Amino acid sequence: MTKENVQGAGEEEQQAQSKKALKKQQKEAEKAAKKAEKQAKLASEQQEAEEDDFAMDRYGICPMVQSQQKLDRALVRVQDLTPEKAEQQIWVRARIHTSRAKGKQCFLVLRHQQFTVQALLAVGDCASKQMVKFAANLTKESIIDVEAVVKKVEQKIESCSQQDVELHVERIFVISQSEARLPLQLEDAVRPEGEGDEEGRATVNQDTRLDNRVIDLRTTTSQSIFRLQSGVCQLFRDTLINKGFVEIQTPKIISAASEGGANVFTVSYFKTSAYLAQSPQLYKQMCICADFDKVFCVGPVFRAEDSNTHRHLTEFVGLDIEMAFNYHYHEVIDSITDTMVQIFKGLRDRFQTEIQTVNKQYPSEPFKFLEPTLRLEYKEAVAMLRAAGVEMGDEEDLSTPNEKLLGRLVKEKYDTDFYVLDKYPLAVRPFYTMPDPNNPKYSNSYDMFMRGEEILSGAQRVHDAQLLTERAMHHGIDLEKIKAYIDSFRYGAPPHAGGGIGLERVTMLYLGLHNVRQTSMFPRDPKRLTP
Amino acid sequence: MCQVSGVIKMALRELSSLERFLGLKKPNKYSSQGGKKVPVLQNNNGPALIGLVTIASHLVREAKRPELLGDSAERRAVVQQWLEYRVTRLDNCSKEEVKVILKDLNQYLEDKVYLAGNVFTLADILMYYGIHHIVVELAVQEKERYLNITRWFDHIQHYPGVRHHLPPVVVLRNRVYPSGHY
Repeated sequence: MTKENVQGAGEEEQQAQSKKALKKQQKEAEKAAKKAEKQAKLASEQQEAEEDDFAMDRYGICPMVQSQQKLDRALVRVQDLTPEKAEQQIWVRARIHTSRAKGKQCFLVLRHQQFTVQALLAVGDCASKQMVKFAANLTKESIIDVEAVVKKVEQKIESCSQQDVELHVERIFVISQSEARLPLQLEDAVRPEGEGDEEGRATVNQDTRLDNRVIDLRTTTSQSIFRLQSGVCQLFRDTLINKGFVEIQTPKIISAASEGGANVFTVSYFKTSAYLAQSPQLYKQMCICADFDKVFCVGPVFRAEDSNTHRHLTEFVGLDIEMAFNYHYHEVIDSITDTMVQIFKGLRDRFQTEIQTVNKQYPSEPFKFLEPTLRLEYKEAVAMLRAAGVEMGDEEDLSTPNEKLLGRLVKEKYDTDFYVLDKYPLAVRPFYTMPDPNNPKYSNSYDMFMRGEEILSGAQRVHDAQLLTERAMHHGIDLEKIKAYIDSFRYGAPPHAGGGIGLERVTMLYLGLHNVRQTSMFPRDPKRLTP
Repeated sequence: MCQVSGVIKMALRELSSLERFLGLKKPNKYSSQGGKKVPVLQNNNGPALIGLVTIASHLVREAKRPELLGDSAERRAVVQQWLEYRVTRLDNCSKEEVKVILKDLNQYLEDKVYLAGNVFTLADILMYYGIHHIVVELAVQEKERYLNITRWFDHIQHYPGVRHHLPPVVVLRNRVYPSGHY
């Protein structure tokens, strides 16, 4: 009984199994048939494509440009695509910013630097179905050469910088193909802060940007920031050269720290060690002693401060000025403030497009300044702060929040974003600062501020070897280490003053940005050494 | 422990400041009671009065200034509400709560001169005493952010006879931060 039962059960099971297997087989067969069908279809399509593609030589991937031929072909820049070029047949090299296929058409946005233009590819006389498909499948950020006819458009294209024209593409070739997956999307990287939150869209955080700096630098905002920064440098040079300054180059590897050893980088230098210059201070002054009278220097400056703030970098570009004067160091202040004003004016007049572009992502009030520049004394500033309820001592240095508050108070009272704070307490300045002849507690030193943040620190320097020695001793500095510096004042040194400006800070504060890393191409801070 | 004794000291100084504001000739003597050091007033002709608000209300009646507790039923209710708010929410609130309190109070005061509308009441005095230690710590920017509190606070600290034991807080009359620049 039991045996039979077992057998019966076994048979049933077998039967059930075979039924299942049958079904499975059937399904597989169906699948295979479908697959074969698909393949056949694909093959036939491909064949069709190959057979029918009349536009085959109008698109494709170019062989790597190895400078094999000199093509006599003028490439028009995207920013030059204006209605004057309407109906012209031109070649353009640009990146694919976005591409959107829609049936028989494909819309591309082509980008070169901060300029964009819409391009249209439609099945017709010039383009085949396959060509449109090819264009639609191109990866974002690939670089392409396009031959097209410029056409005026009826309705402005709001999403592009070239709003009055579009390109009707006739040929399209890939010069360099981008990988399909980008580490960050350019649209996300230019979205104004806060706007993304409302629409639930992504914005890119700063670290991601900096990790993929090459791509981040392609955004319209970055392009504008660094074009403007280049403008700052150029305006700085032009203005000073016009004033009779000489550009100098100073060493960055130095034997002794200029202002105490705490915040300098040490580098090993053969059998001994050296420091990275934290300012070209000493060399500027030696040039003055060597009768160069008015010098400036643009170059890297290093600070080994372990401060991770929005406005500190460990390496930045310093714009340094040193100048001999006749009788009063205000001659130098006037010269520097005038240079700054020339820079502000130059930026305002020549870089309006860039300023507007940055403003789209980071809105800020236009930068305001007075002519002549407002000069406040430290005492007045302390009085203003006290009137606003801040408790501080007469000879206390300004804290960062107080600096910012003072900036707001000055803006409210004088309507300027740029001013000079003169006559700092001697105690808070370096040893080479000239004391104030009328009040030994103060000094002939000054800071300059943009939007309430310090951009320049300067002073009249002690040009008398004896007083300099005294001051150095007062600060407890090892005289042996600065012997060469002090000695340079022994053989006749003219009275002189100067100051150093941080390029990144000027750019940041002029544009009203919030982080100095935004205005440093490859920022260096205590936590970042790459890229 | 130190903070608690500070608070109780404050409450006692507050009551004596209130007495002076009310023009009471003879200063009362107070003691404190329990772990929370609640102020106690031993009354000559009756049982002891316990608690800041209770004693303060009593002093107001003694000085024959009942209008300071509200001159209508509605106003009396509002004054009571703020007196209660003072001792339950404001006193000993945590740092996170401070922000919420400032935000809410700022909004409440947007269309009011005094806490109970357009008349000065005991609620203004006790809220001023209670919030002083917070306002004195605010940065210029924050005082501007809580503009209505600052306006009300400045008004009360200049109200004749109120300030007494507390240092004046500097208030700027001009806005120095552009609106929305926080």
